[in-house]
Amino acid sequence: MTTNAKNVALSLRDIKITFGDVVAVNGVSLDLYEGEVIGLIGENGAGKSTLLKILSGIYRPDEGSIELAGKEVKFRNPEDSLAAGIGVVHQEQSLFTNLSVAENMDISVGKSGSNSSLLGLYNWGAVNKSASRTLEKIGSKLDPRTKVGDLAFVDRQMVEIAKAIRVGESSNTKPIVILDEPTSLLEPHETAYLEREISKLREIGSVIFVSHRLEEVIRVCDRILVLRDGELVAVRTKDAVDEAELFRLMIGREAKSEKREYRRDASEEAPVIELRNLSKRGAFRGVNLTLAAGEITAIVGTNASGREELCKALYGVDPADSGTMLVRGKEVHGWNVQRSIKAGFGLVPSERKVEGMVGGLTAASNLSLIFGSDSQVGPFISPRKLKTVAADWFEKLDIRPRNPSLELERFSGGNQQKVVMAKWLKSEKLSLLILDHPLRGLDPGAAGTVNLLIQAAVKNDTAVLLLADTLEEALEMGDQIIVMRDGEISSSFDLHKEQPTSLDLLEKMV
Amino acid sequence: MATKEPGNPGVNTAMIRIREGEIAKSTNWKRLAEPTSLIATLFALIIIFSLLNPRFLSVENLRNLTDQASLPLILSVGATLVILLGSIDLSIEGIMGSAAMTFVLLSANTRDSSDFGLLAVLAAIVVGIIFGLLNGSIVTKIKVPSFVVTLGMWFVGLGVATVLYGTETMPFLTNSDLTSWASTLSVGLPNSFWAAVVVVILGVTFVGLTKTGRSVMAIGNNENIARSAGLRVDRIKLAVFAIAGALSAVAGIIAAIKLGSGSPSVGLGSLFVTIPAVVIGGTALAGGKGGVLSSTLGVFILIILNNGLILAGVSPNFQSGIAGAILIGAIVVAAASQRDRLRIAK
Repeated sequence: MTTNAKNVALSLRDIKITFGDVVAVNGVSLDLYEGEVIGLIGENGAGKSTLLKILSGIYRPDEGSIELAGKEVKFRNPEDSLAAGIGVVHQEQSLFTNLSVAENMDISVGKSGSNSSLLGLYNWGAVNKSASRTLEKIGSKLDPRTKVGDLAFVDRQMVEIAKAIRVGESSNTKPIVILDEPTSLLEPHETAYLEREISKLREIGSVIFVSHRLEEVIRVCDRILVLRDGELVAVRTKDAVDEAELFRLMIGREAKSEKREYRRDASEEAPVIELRNLSKRGAFRGVNLTLAAGEITAIVGTNASGREELCKALYGVDPADSGTMLVRGKEVHGWNVQRSIKAGFGLVPSERKVEGMVGGLTAASNLSLIFGSDSQVGPFISPRKLKTVAADWFEKLDIRPRNPSLELERFSGGNQQKVVMAKWLKSEKLSLLILDHPLRGLDPGAAGTVNLLIQAAVKNDTAVLLLADTLEEALEMGDQIIVMRDGEISSSFDLHKEQPTSLDLLEKMV
Repeated sequence: MATKEPGNPGVNTAMIRIREGEIAKSTNWKRLAEPTSLIATLFALIIIFSLLNPRFLSVENLRNLTDQASLPLILSVGATLVILLGSIDLSIEGIMGSAAMTFVLLSANTRDSSDFGLLAVLAAIVVGIIFGLLNGSIVTKIKVPSFVVTLGMWFVGLGVATVLYGTETMPFLTNSDLTSWASTLSVGLPNSFWAAVVVVILGVTFVGLTKTGRSVMAIGNNENIARSAGLRVDRIKLAVFAIAGALSAVAGIIAAIKLGSGSPSVGLGSLFVTIPAVVIGGTALAGGKGGVLSSTLGVFILIILNNGLILAGVSPNFQSGIAGAILIGAIVVAAASQRDRLRIAK
């Protein structure tokens, strides 16, 4: 808030960069003050990542200048930018999981800053000690000797931040930390923790915070800068803006009210699935749950809550070991994936790239991976039918580029997710759709389309089980919310009768 | 919003509790391939075999064991380094042959009068380094998978050795001090073993205490991250293949000394002790996990198994079958802990 009284840490003047005919960033100017957290938002392709790459020395701008504390600088490579005290925490994890926290912080430090002693041998004591010092500075109590692979994601992010400011420690300027969607892989309670830690970074430097989650940006940042089509279209202070306005600035149109009309006609037909006292050792215990057709049930809980295991049990990947499961009112035994698909169950996993799709196959083949009868002639796959079926869905879901013969891995995340969902939606008897973080990593525009798909499934009387990225998402989309803690259902809310806040949910989660 | 409450200690402690739970869960079942269980296996084998045949623990047999272990130990250090990178080196036997021939022909031998003494050792090691550099540059510059490159280099090595061997009679080493060096005892154990101990110590130091060594672990864990962290990935790979080549040469030299003559096939059968020993030691073929010392345990497990089975009177016909089965078993155990590699993020 007191930004105007402070020194400018970083300023960009009329930065422009083009790739071929495309102007990726067009005349962007901004000031970042010491002790300030600014948010940078924009759709995919708005120029956010290009701007970050300019700041981290990967790209050189065609026009414009960068000033650090009033002095013009030119970054020839990432090392220059690091040495100047700009640390970037990239969206992708950049830690070696087989090495310790301290080593991860040390390994990319240039010769001058590293802790090797005589004969080039490591001095582990010094490596650990200097890592502790940096960790302490950002308020983390992690043991530098811990192996990164043993850390929760939120702690890994702290290590990333520590690592990012580590290199610039030798420069005498206050660090500038750039965080590119640091919370996208975190659970709600972890996000809360990380947001708090980011706020603390104000004491030692300044932060550029990039996120797709608008409510989060407003929570964390002092000012918010909106990029659209490579241009800076708006700057807002956090007190003078709300999510709806940010959305409009970003996308260029009004956010549609996503609240749908609830259509719970207490029908006579048996629920899609009913669980009685379902348990699995080491995962969940005594779960009683009913999922009705045309309803969205959101399960919230921490990583250790057992909710992912519960979803896997329902889908039949890792079946439960005791209790009763009724599908359409009939008790089932020996549940497995084949039976679950037969019953019309579908799963959209959270690890899209690993579990949800076959990246090297064409989008068309992915689309017909499970329900392929419409693209077959007898027992054989007909390439022609495969294409026409896919073209239909591409049109229906506005999947771009309109080329189903392209390998799926070459589509953007949002379009990949549409294909993954369409794979299930094309089944006419889809009765339960399990969505494990369906919006993860999608920008608000793509997330909107995926949301519409979910609504469409619900209208078709599919029951939806949702593991949401954020509590807000769960509250917005769900008909009922189930809170799980330590493998048990700790609470449940019928959103037609009550409106819990995210704090209410958080309290039951931990 | 709701998550704004800065000082809620309840949330914090609960979070820590959950995280500890996660850690415990993830480490629990990886233990099978850990050094402690390898040492336990080793002791179990020793106890079983000494019960089956008391001669197993005799001084002569222990010297015999350490002598048999010496070449696999030296080779396993190089192989471990390469495998930690996520690559593989199959050219061991070829390089051994070439280095052995180089060494014998340049030492005092029955073919000609040349005797370059220690220079012969050096020359043979240089031959190994050249093969290693060739491996490394083809892998890094032309981006051919190491499996293919080193498979080819295996036979190139054998070919070079065969050419050096020529059409004359087998060259024998004539210096008796030299030919008895490997089996001469120092502090109760054969020199060949002490050479291996030195190599193992150097290997452990390299991996654990040098920047390059730690970078090897990093590259094996994730090469892309290593590149973007500014590590000189190609140069490090080249160095590691060169080290592996040099160690294959050292093993070839010692093999020739033990044999007392030069033959292209001195290395025959070495590959199928070295790679299984590394894998049994718990070094992941995918890279980034394991270490030199664990491979040492793997070598001893295989050597003791081999030796113990003979002493127990098991027909040698069964032995390669048993060794193969053990290798598969070891990989099953190792692969179990790699299943979580697929779960990039949870």
